[in-house]
Amino acid sequence: MKNTSSINIFLKEVGDTSGFGWRFLTQWFRPRYEIKEFIKQCYIIGYKSLPLIGLTGFIMGLVLTMQLRPTMVDYGVESQIPAIVGIAIIREIGPVITALIFAGKIGSSIGAELGSMKVTEQIDAMEVSGTNPFKYLVVSRILATTFMLPILVILSDTISLYGAYLGVNIRNVTSFQLFWIQVFDSLSFNDVLPAFIKTYFFGFVVGLIGCYKGYNSNKGTEGVGKSANSAVVVSSVLIFIIDLLAVQITDLLGFN
Amino acid sequence: MKNNFFKDVKLGVFVLSGLLLLIFLLYMIGRNRNMFGSNFNLRARFENVQGLKAGNNIRFSGIDIGTVKGVKIINDTLMEVEMIIDKKVKNVLKKNAIVSITTDGLVGNKIVNITAVKSPSLYAEENDILPSKKSIDTDEMLRTLSKTNNDVAVIANDLKITINKLNTSEGLWTLLSDKSIAKNINNAVAEVNSASTNINIISKNIGTITNDIKNGKGTIGKLISDTLLPKSIDEAVMNIKKAGVNIVKLSSDLNKAVLNIDTMINDGEGTVHALMKDSSIVIKINKSLDNIQEGSKGFSDNMDALKHNFLFRGYFRKLEKSKQKQ
Repeated sequence: MKNTSSINIFLKEVGDTSGFGWRFLTQWFRPRYEIKEFIKQCYIIGYKSLPLIGLTGFIMGLVLTMQLRPTMVDYGVESQIPAIVGIAIIREIGPVITALIFAGKIGSSIGAELGSMKVTEQIDAMEVSGTNPFKYLVVSRILATTFMLPILVILSDTISLYGAYLGVNIRNVTSFQLFWIQVFDSLSFNDVLPAFIKTYFFGFVVGLIGCYKGYNSNKGTEGVGKSANSAVVVSSVLIFIIDLLAVQITDLLGFN
Repeated sequence: MKNNFFKDVKLGVFVLSGLLLLIFLLYMIGRNRNMFGSNFNLRARFENVQGLKAGNNIRFSGIDIGTVKGVKIINDTLMEVEMIIDKKVKNVLKKNAIVSITTDGLVGNKIVNITAVKSPSLYAEENDILPSKKSIDTDEMLRTLSKTNNDVAVIANDLKITINKLNTSEGLWTLLSDKSIAKNINNAVAEVNSASTNINIISKNIGTITNDIKNGKGTIGKLISDTLLPKSIDEAVMNIKKAGVNIVKLSSDLNKAVLNIDTMINDGEGTVHALMKDSSIVIKINKSLDNIQEGSKGFSDNMDALKHNFLFRGYFRKLEKSKQKQ
């Protein structure tokens, strides 16, 4: 009986989240537009995340190169390190690591912010005062995460590749020019575009889950922490699920 | 308000840098795939494209000049490779350049190699079909290698047998371990050495002899170099000729003489003729011989009578005594 109810709760969550997402999709293009709030959120979500994302990206590029190096030397393809690291970062590691860090930082903050607003009944007060809280709070945040994450991923990829360049240069000497030529030579649109497009979905999911969890948080301070926590966990899991779906779809379409 | 403005600027810079990097990335990839800039298309036909794909590089004498646009199937034995070539090589690439499909390194990607031919031709133009060459297939290479391997195995086997034979052959080992052979060879070499010095001397002598002959010293030299000799030889030959004529005359004289004798014998004159031709003379000679026999018998009897005669007995006894003494 309890089992059935937990499944029911899960299904209800899925249904509610989908309904919340549908509500966003039907609302975001309708006036009135909360442009100022959107730009403010972009600044907070995008620009403020850059140092963290940049640091993790740089370390990922450097570490990946240094970890790959011994095996590549064993196989005698040391010269292919830039190509391999480039493909790995652009295709998978850049988007996923950035999205996960993003979920940890932004998902939790949105969940906590909206959760505390919900708990302190500010959202209800907004509704009473005539502002559409869904438009003002949710749409602006989800749009901001959706559009900021791809840009963050691009910047993070660039910083990662620079880290990889330094990583190559620790044990070996390669010119900056040669490194970039090797990276770009190995890349094709099939590597870049699917990876770029899926980052929109990552951003959307992080924003959606953060807002949903915050918007529907339970009463009490406990509820705020819970919604912040579950926002990070669920969005991280969803990032991996979307990644899986993305690779399946690109494979089916023959872009892999 | 001022704070907000700076925030907007920072956001703008952030978004723009991200977008510019994205555009740069896409542009670089596009440039590598020859999507921008001026290009022209060329084609080549192959029986087997060995897994060539769109996007593979095209090299002209080792320089990347373009990418493969696609591979089309024309029929079951003919594939067409469409190539996008940089316009920069348009006034270098000729119509008779040969296209082949090779591998970048041993295990790298497939590449299309365009090789120039050193003979005059027009420059390649849009949509030309360049001649293609069947490149070395890895499969074929391995097949050949496997054949070579088999051959090597057979050779190794033969070699093994040979070496076994050599190893088990006692004669060879005794030959090899016999120290005297080396000595003998040494001696032989020394002998050969001395012989060769002798030969050297001989040849030197021959050299001097020939020199002498050249210079007209000695008999042979004289023979060869004397200018008078042919004249005297000539004279001698003339004399021999004359002698020959005389001999002919002599023999004809002899012939005549023999003929005379012959006629003389046959014509019945002289003693010889009587002896040879007259048959009655044989009977006469026979008779006279009989008479002589009878006469000598009578004489013998007379002699016996004489021995017994007292007058001569003393003489005969003396003869006998002297015989016995001897």
